[in-house]
Amino acid sequence: MENNPQQVYTVTDFQAVCNQILETAFTGVVVEGEVASYKVNQGKYVFFDLKDDNASVGCFMMLFAQRFPLEDGMRVRVRAVPKLTNWGKFSLTVQQVQPVGEGSLKKSFELLKKKLTEEGLFDAAKKRPLPEKILKIGVISSTQAAGYADFCKILNERWGGLTVLTAHTQVQGMTAADQIIRALKYFNEHGEVDIIAVIRGGGSADDLAVFNDEALVRAIAASKIPVITGIGHEVDESLCDLAADIVASTPSNVAQMLTRDRREVIASIKADVKRINNLLNTKIDDLTEVNRNEITRIAQEIYRKIETIGADVSSQIKILAQLNPENVLARGYALVRGKATLGEDIEIETQNEFITANVKAIKEK
Amino acid sequence: MAKNISEKIDELKTGVEWFYSDDFKLEDASEKYKALTTLAKDIEGDLNNLKNEIKVIEEDFSK
Repeated sequence: MENNPQQVYTVTDFQAVCNQILETAFTGVVVEGEVASYKVNQGKYVFFDLKDDNASVGCFMMLFAQRFPLEDGMRVRVRAVPKLTNWGKFSLTVQQVQPVGEGSLKKSFELLKKKLTEEGLFDAAKKRPLPEKILKIGVISSTQAAGYADFCKILNERWGGLTVLTAHTQVQGMTAADQIIRALKYFNEHGEVDIIAVIRGGGSADDLAVFNDEALVRAIAASKIPVITGIGHEVDESLCDLAADIVASTPSNVAQMLTRDRREVIASIKADVKRINNLLNTKIDDLTEVNRNEITRIAQEIYRKIETIGADVSSQIKILAQLNPENVLARGYALVRGKATLGEDIEIETQNEFITANVKAIKEK
Repeated sequence: MAKNISEKIDELKTGVEWFYSDDFKLEDASEKYKALTTLAKDIEGDLNNLKNEIKVIEEDFSK
């Protein structure tokens, strides 16, 4: 050993060098395995083993960094830094952990849903309606995602004049949740949009797992600006959906809910104009009918009055006829003219003759 | 100042309501109908030409 001198480390130095090498070799290594011996110490330190069929490695993390509920038997993916502890034990210092596989995701989802529901995070009373006037929309999505393209296409087809500010973020993977949280913070700090839309197209349960991240769910619930989500397909439900003010089934559905359809508005306007036209024609027809009826009524009144007057005249003629002395003479009576004085002549008029007669006697009746 | 689409739509709505209101006068109807027809065409043109402005924020959210 004296002829071949080697560097001699203290134990502390050796451990430090090992950690330096590990950090250089594995910057943010991602390891997948099954959780075993999960426990939380002093309410803030999390310990568990990550194992597979042949190996096991101890893991340590701070509780605040744990964004998904964990249980023994869950399959998880951790982003971690390998470390040799002061006691010579090799472990992973976990920065992020995320369940993987349908069973683990479902279990984690149910546990967190129960916890946040009990906290009242999803209460219906906290939901805000869509703003009445939406002119500026903040979108959080990956600009490369198909869901984002669908959103823009439907939005442009339906309406115009809107300003859309897009925060480009990852929408899957272990860094996505933090990016989306930063984007939410950005929009809330700048306060220039009327609503924030968090959108992501369909994907596997693993792809959509980010939307069940506790910190992200809380950030959505805490947003000062109303949040609408359109995540995955219609059948997918995420905790972000439950925390949002408004839930759309897909990114396209977000665009539909935020806008009116200009084609429907144009059709409605045309229908209005047509309806007014019909109304106007109906009113003119109605007024014409009213006038026609009035004229008919007046004419009928005139005819009625003429008939009444005619009947009255006939009656008068009949009365006059009855008063005609000729008619009395015709019934056999006679008209006597002259003074009834003894010895004097008087004239008697009958229907057909004038007779001169002498008064021979006058008697009281 | 030119009216925006919402204001024009509101104006059209008010104009339509006049025809159903007690203020309706046949003498004024023809002129109002013509004005509303012009307004409707104006709105249709505006709606068809309206574009959205979509901007990607220059902020790196990965950091």
